[in-house]
Amino acid sequence: MPLFYDLIVHAHPETETPAADLLSLARRYGYAGIAITNHDQFCEAQPTLPGLFTGVEIQTESVTELKRAVKHYGGKVALVVVHGGSEKINRAAVEHPRVDVLAHPCGEKGEGGLNHVLVRYAAANGVAIDFNLDALIHTRRADRARLLSKMREILRLVRKYHAPMLVTSHAHSLYELRAPREMFALAALIGLSTEEARAALSDFPAGIMAKRWKKEREVEVLD
Amino acid sequence: MHALTPLLLLYLPPSLRERRRYLLFEVLSERAIDKWELLKEILDSLYSLYGDLGASESKVWLIEYHTLDGATGGQGILRCAHQHVEEVRASLACIHSVNNVRVGIRVIRTSGTMKGLSP
Repeated sequence: MPLFYDLIVHAHPETETPAADLLSLARRYGYAGIAITNHDQFCEAQPTLPGLFTGVEIQTESVTELKRAVKHYGGKVALVVVHGGSEKINRAAVEHPRVDVLAHPCGEKGEGGLNHVLVRYAAANGVAIDFNLDALIHTRRADRARLLSKMREILRLVRKYHAPMLVTSHAHSLYELRAPREMFALAALIGLSTEEARAALSDFPAGIMAKRWKKEREVEVLD
Repeated sequence: MHALTPLLLLYLPPSLRERRRYLLFEVLSERAIDKWELLKEILDSLYSLYGDLGASESKVWLIEYHTLDGATGGQGILRCAHQHVEEVRASLACIHSVNNVRVGIRVIRTSGTMKGLSP
């Protein structure tokens, strides 16, 4: 039984739900751990619980601001996530080797996207591409259809260039967490096989936390 | 033949009946929710995700639902066609609210018989 991780969850103070409640529910659902990635803030008081990681989701419109924020948080938090969506930010995120995850590259309603160049950058820089399954839960009809086709397109490129990928819930409350098996079923809607979904929920998150795809790490291993 | 044929005539022998799966699921909700409203939401989610054609193959029906003590959630049993469990699971996962009450649904166990659901 692999260890599952949900790497993008929002908790108090951004939302009303405390991180400890989310973690205990996630554990009951079968996760080994979750990462709290609030927008542009991180709590230092939290990382005492086992299985609870701290990260930050950088949300900005300008590339200079993004680079400044990545530099500011780099080394301080376990996980640097970039709030994607616009083409400019997506590009800046996958080109930056200190970014760990590009969250929802096709936006929350399918307005953005990634092309072959960006996915290749993501693979080279070890930036994980996130499939935000919460968007499939919260949208219906035309929005969901657009999202599904955008995500399929990205999945095709991710498979071709072997970029790391993640499946996340972006939960803002207890009611938005989904158990691993439910996540597999939702990921199957995009076209992920059970093995791929399993990897996106266990191997890839573990690798991202261990910075397995980062350049410095590779050099260390070779030495 | 009379329009009101007794239902007994429509029963198939066990060997010819279609195979089914029973899903034991738990609901985490803000407040207590009604069984029929939950079924309506499950079917809406299924129709929205797979359309009328896909939903007709799943043959979903809510057998039982009861609120647990404390009223923060409930448990229920859902029946579906045996080859469509993953589709039903996906449409259960797509439910975010029932009647403006936020909910999260998780399938605990699946089985071919109701009896198999109780450990």
